[in-house]
Parts: sequence; structure tokens; C-alpha cells
Amino acid sequence: MLVVVIYLFPISYMALTAVKDEAQFGDPNAPVWPSRKIELEYEGEQYPLHIVPFEDGDRELLLVQPRRNESQFIDPKSPESGLIEWEGSWRTLEPVYENYFTFQAFTDWFEILDFRQVGYNTLVVVGLTEIGVVVVSVLVAYGFARFPIPYGNILFFILIGTIILPEKITLIPTYFAFINLFDWQGTWWPLIAPHFFGSAVLIFLLRQNFRTIPKELEEAALIDGAGPMRILFSVILPMAWPTVVTVALLHFFFIWNETRLASLYLLSAPDKHPLVSSMLARGGFISGANNLQARALITMVVPMTVLFLSQKFFMRGVQITGLEK
Amino acid sequence: MFNSSYQAKRGRIGLLLITPWLIGFLLLKLAPIIASFIFSLTDFNMLKPQDISFIGLQNYAVLVRDETMWSVLVGTIGLAVITVPLQLLFALLLAALLSNESIIGRNFYRTLIFLPSIIPGIAVFSVWFGFVDPTNGWLNQLIMEPLGLPPYPGPNSESGRNLLLILLSLWNIGPAFLILSGAMMGVPKELYEAARVDGAGPVYRLINITLPVISPAIFFSLLISLITVFGGSVLLDRNISFSSGFQSPVDWYIAEIMFGKQSLGYAAGIAWIMFILVIVIAIYLFKTADRWVFYPVD
Repeated sequence: MLVVVIYLFPISYMALTAVKDEAQFGDPNAPVWPSRKIELEYEGEQYPLHIVPFEDGDRELLLVQPRRNESQFIDPKSPESGLIEWEGSWRTLEPVYENYFTFQAFTDWFEILDFRQVGYNTLVVVGLTEIGVVVVSVLVAYGFARFPIPYGNILFFILIGTIILPEKITLIPTYFAFINLFDWQGTWWPLIAPHFFGSAVLIFLLRQNFRTIPKELEEAALIDGAGPMRILFSVILPMAWPTVVTVALLHFFFIWNETRLASLYLLSAPDKHPLVSSMLARGGFISGANNLQARALITMVVPMTVLFLSQKFFMRGVQITGLEK
Repeated sequence: MFNSSYQAKRGRIGLLLITPWLIGFLLLKLAPIIASFIFSLTDFNMLKPQDISFIGLQNYAVLVRDETMWSVLVGTIGLAVITVPLQLLFALLLAALLSNESIIGRNFYRTLIFLPSIIPGIAVFSVWFGFVDPTNGWLNQLIMEPLGLPPYPGPNSESGRNLLLILLSLWNIGPAFLILSGAMMGVPKELYEAARVDGAGPVYRLINITLPVISPAIFFSLLISLITVFGGSVLLDRNISFSSGFQSPVDWYIAEIMFGKQSLGYAAGIAWIMFILVIVIAIYLFKTADRWVFYPVD
């Protein structure tokens, strides 16, 4: 448990920094906790509260007249007793802080970004690729798991090989083809279309799982005259659905976080970016650690929620036994 | 009951089922690999695609003398040597700790361990850069100082950058952890029972039962950790843009040449060198796998 706490410690930094007031970052005396200097009113003006050491103990006083060698203070408890002189540099004094949370960093983001447009973009890209990749991967995995495909073993070995293929080697020509031959710059096509050919790693995971389903169940259905599609839907999928859902979730986390292709192919269309890449593209509009951490929180809240809602079977869905060659 | 013409028919159905992947493989993998090689024999530049000319192995001749190329290659291999075993050990350790059934809410802990792996790359970088920042961050303020350790120098120095890379790699263990956890849950209980009767302790059981049984999963985790270092993204996307080379120096260099200078010919040359390197490593791994990966008999 302690390991988990240490492992996730930086997340607490993100959460607390996101709700800090911007003034806190430049202030070397500021505490770690989100807070701000206490300021009180005296004769119509706001003055900061400081801890001032006297011979008979520390007092919390308002700094009214800061000077290098001696400063003038007011006691907020008895302002009528007038100015208090104190000798020494006011810069050595510690300000008094109070806890202070602000959601300014989040509301800033809602002004920078049109969340309705971005939400629609995200839905299109995530939704379409999800349908494509899951349907195709299930069909291909079913084919590999259950049918005597000619040279099936070699083809499956090639499939595993494509998992470890470095991405750049295929990116260079496809980048040229998508941009120059198909003129797909600024469209969603390069982000969506490749997923309709399935995903090698997801096919691999599904196929491993399909193979664990006893063949006897299928044979009974075969004798009843069921075709391959009926068997897929009435025998395989009811048994394998946790893995299918897991695979769908893995793709969701992947595509939600995908920013490289989006920032490459949507360069000329800033209003077509899905959430994460549009927040990345607008990084130049923000400054301050609180805005950065608020951005981090906004981008991760959806996948985090999905992960926690699905945790019951998510951790059971991936099982790799024999990785045959 | 199943005669040969029936088998041939089923073979055709199977072929039909895998057709989408097959087309995708030909169009999006095989053709680009060949095209990359052809590009690498030319001086192809995106800015003036009509001025393409065949220059033979000249790109490779330049590459051999390219100092940046050598340093990023060494950097990538160094990164792999440190982070891949570290990730694997860490994932294995956590998966083993959480495979103990007496832990209450272990599914919840597993989810928490997986959590960093679903956080978008920009969030991960914002969090870690903020966290280790020497002035405002928490690492020096809350961890190094109270423990009396030397302060972290910040991500811009050589040692600071390497340390950050190692910390970041520990936040990438999700897929390996998921696969290893799943495999550990699949180990037949009877094996443990038999060992317990023989008086075997937990460490003995881990080394002599769990590890051999889950060795295919270990092998698969090893492959996907390795490919991440070479700029691939299996189950996990941790890169921000093509120009942030935080995961893989050589990947960053290819992107620099490709998008910065738009010279696809030279970039394809580097990509091919990397491709060959990955193939060599993969073949070597598959060769050694014969000795330590145990395949169940179907």
C-alpha cells in the first residue's frame, strides 16, 4: 500500500497545484499547501499581514509602510492605537498565509477552448475508430483462432512481427502519401482510416483468448447447422466478452491520448483537434504552473473515470498463455 | 466427419475473415517498409518532391559519419539497457505482491498501479516537470531535503534528465503489469497447493512455479517495453508530438530530419538502420526464448 502511495504521489502535486492562486508561485516563502497572503483593510487600503518579532514575543501586524531599515505597522486587533514602529528589514519578515483554493485555472481553460466543438471532435474520432478497430479485430482474431487458414501460422507470425515494428519506418511514406497523394492534411481521415484494418496487438490478445474457449461448444452448434457468424455471436462472444470489452478499453485509452498523428495531420485545421491535442496545441496561450496542472487534470479525468468504472473486469481481461511461434 | 473439401472451405472462410488485416498489412506496413527503403536511396525532400533523384547508398555513407546519429543511437540503446529491465522487474514485483489473495481490495490497487499509464502524455510531462522543478516542485522540498539527500539538479542537466527518464519509465509499466498480473491469475492453484504441501516458501514458489508458468507473458512484456524505447507505441501512447524525443533519442532525431528539414530520404535511411537493429534484437530474443520460455502443449 505504501508503494502505491509513493507511486502516485506526483498526482497529488498536480491536484494541489491546479487549485493554487498564481501569486503563490513567485513567492519563495509560500507554503506547499494552496494558500494566499492574508490582507486586511486599514483606512480603505489593503495591507499584508506579517509576523513581527518583538522582545515580548511575535505579533501579527499589518505592514503599512515598508522601508529598508524600519517599517510601520498597524495591529489589526486594535487599529485605533496607531502606527507601531519596528526596526529591521521588512523583507526578513514572514507573511501570514491562509488556505486558499481557486478554480481560476480551470475557468481560464473554459474561456480558451470551445469545449462543445472539441467534445464533438473527440466523439467522432474516438467513436469511429473504436467501432472500426473492435469489429475488425474480433473478426480477424476469430479467423486466426478457429479456421485452418493456408499458411495461417506464418501469417500470424507476421502479425506479431508488426507489433514490434518501429513506427517511423512506416510513417515516412504514409505521411507523404496521406499529405501529397490523398491531400488529407486537415482532415480526420489519417486518424480514423488505418484503424479499420484492425490492430495487431488487439488481434493478438483476442485470438489468445478465443483459443481458450473449448471447441466442444462450437461443435455442438455446428451439428445444429450454425454458420461461422452464428457461432461467433452465439458461442464465442458470450464467452469472450470481458476480453472484447478490455480490448475496446485499451483502444479507448490509446486513442484518447493520441496526440502525435493529430498534431501532424490536423496542423492546418486547429478547430478539428480532439480534446488532448487541442489542449496541447493551445499550450502557448497559457502560463503558470496552475494552468499547466489544470490542463493535465482536464485531459485525464475522462480516461480515469472510465478506468475506475471498468476496474472489475479490466484487470482480468488480459491473459497471455502460450505465445506460439 | 470433417473431410478435406470441408476443411478447404473453412480455410477460405478464415482467409475472408482476416482479409481486412491482410490488406492493412500490405498497404500500411509492407508497402511503406519497401517505400522507405526506396526513399532512403534518394535525396527526396518534401519541399521539392519533383527534384527527386536516385543517389544509391549515399545517404548511408553520410549516416556512418553523422555524429548526432551515433550519439542518439548509443543514447537509445543505453536507455533500453537501463529502463527495460527496470520496468520489467518493477512490474513483476508489483504483480507478485498484488497476486496475494489475502490483500483486501487488491483489484483497486491494481487499478491504481495501472492509472499512470492511461494519463495523456502532456499530463504526465506537466506533472513530472512540475514535480521535480528545483524551485517550485515538491521533489526537493518534500522528499530530498527532509531525507537529507542532495537536491535534484533539475531536468536540464545531464544527470537530472537521465534520472527523470528513469522515473518516467516507471510510470509506463501499465501494459506489462496488466499482462503479468493476468498471467499470474491464470497459474493453476493446484501447483501452489502441491508446493505448499512439500514445504516450499513464497520465494521458492515464485521462482520455481510462477515465473516458468508465466514466462510467455514475461517475454511479451519484454517485447513491448523494448519497442517503446524505439519509438513504438503498443497499448500505450506516451509521446506528445513527433519532436519530443523523451522516450527515444533516435526517434526524435528521425522526426527532426523528417519534419524539420523535410528530407524524407535521409530520414528513411535512419529509420531503416533502426528497423534492422530492432529485427536483430527481436531475432536474438526469440532465439534465447527457446531456452527460458515454456510453451504449454496444446
